[in-house]
Amino acid sequence: MKKVWENISKNRYYKMVFKNPFTYITGAVLLSITQIALFAYSGNPWGVSGTLANWGAWIYELFGGSVEKWYYFSSSGAQATLNAGILNHSGTMLNVGIVGGALLATLLASQFKWKKIKSVKQIVAAVLGGLLMGYGARLAGGCNIGALFSGIASLSLSGWVFAVFLLAGAWIGSKLLAKFFM
Amino acid sequence: MAETANAPVRRSIPRTTTRKKKKSQLPIAMIVLLLMIAAGILLSAFKDSSTGMFLMFGGVFGFILQKSRFCFTASLRDPCITGSTSLTKAVLVAFALTTIGFTAIKYNAFASGQAIPGMSYVQPISLATVAGGVMFGVGMVIAGGCASGTLMRVGEGFHMQVLALVFFVIGSLWGAKDMGWWNLNVIADSPRVFLPDVFGWLGAVVIQLLIIGCLYVAADLWERKKLGIKDEE
Amino acid sequence: MAEYELDCMGEACPLPLMKAEKKIKDLASGDVLIVHIDHSCAMKNVPEWARSQGHNVEVDEVDDGEWDVIIEKA
Repeated sequence: MKKVWENISKNRYYKMVFKNPFTYITGAVLLSITQIALFAYSGNPWGVSGTLANWGAWIYELFGGSVEKWYYFSSSGAQATLNAGILNHSGTMLNVGIVGGALLATLLASQFKWKKIKSVKQIVAAVLGGLLMGYGARLAGGCNIGALFSGIASLSLSGWVFAVFLLAGAWIGSKLLAKFFM
Repeated sequence: MAETANAPVRRSIPRTTTRKKKKSQLPIAMIVLLLMIAAGILLSAFKDSSTGMFLMFGGVFGFILQKSRFCFTASLRDPCITGSTSLTKAVLVAFALTTIGFTAIKYNAFASGQAIPGMSYVQPISLATVAGGVMFGVGMVIAGGCASGTLMRVGEGFHMQVLALVFFVIGSLWGAKDMGWWNLNVIADSPRVFLPDVFGWLGAVVIQLLIIGCLYVAADLWERKKLGIKDEE
Repeated sequence: MAEYELDCMGEACPLPLMKAEKKIKDLASGDVLIVHIDHSCAMKNVPEWARSQGHNVEVDEVDDGEWDVIIEKA
């Protein structure tokens, strides 16, 4: 059986599709096609961070909290989504799918490895970075996917405004990286 | 990637590290694939039929992101750190292609008198956009990945991004909680600008593609300057 | 022709690239820098950067998810 896997690994097409990385442009084209297909299928562009707010709400409710009175969840659509639960949530399926797809891609290339946290700096960076991303995405109405990628593709000026300040933030973040996290 | 000729590296010291005998991870990959397909089928059967489709779409996104090492964070961060803009340019290409595809779908709906899909993604522009942009920009660079990047790296086995994801969720909940205040004091009455309303459908697409084109050239020039790439011709 | 090693295992993006950039300045022409990484982004962006600077680059996959990026300074 082991021989079978080894032979597959040496196959030309295996190497082309599953082993070697794609170029950035290939990725851009394929992502765009998938984005457009998703939009055509569901009527909504791709988004990642809105789902994470819902995950937060469901977990909060598990611990006895309630988000019913929050402005953010006050619309009938938001209430319906929360009540329908996580297994009915399209955004959850998308996000879980991304994790699964990336896992699959790595395994198919035999490149999977657990990478443990190496230092306290990494913990601080992950905590701080995560909080900033989560809060910032709610303010802007989305993340690099929902507010930037989908926003710009949707011909919304907000996407461009977000892009400009994203760049500013990235510049600041780069300085902080070099100074504190290297 | 630059296709400069690569003469084999001459090394004075032969490699002393013994290479580990690599075992193929393909069997595990097959199991994971089967599990994902099973999950999709079960979900579609017991929940809405679209559930499995969304899982598949996500899987496709994740696969492409990982294979191409696509990173929105790097597209904005690398120009600041090394001057490299290869990802920046790729992101711009993605913007251009999706603009065309999305507009085709939207215009089609508009022209046939239906409601235009996806209009909720035309967000109001206010100081919240500014603050959110800066916060997200700083956060994604520090955390080593944006929203899609974090999910991708969770799938690749990075513990750091699992931690980042946990706090992304917490930050999102915190943000959601404060949105009442932000909406009342900052966002309310802010304009949502849908470019076709300003420039017409054709005008909006042409202008946006032109801007993307100019940014592409600018990115290329930036990289040549920062990395000192000289013309080969 | 000296050989230098740079251990970047477990580092988050973009630290392998930043550290390699810094370290290569210490090398003389013809020296070799071996960067040990386990980050999939780095196995792409480190060689890309190194080649743009005119160095010879080889990437060796030494184990599942681990690479050596071997840079010979131009």
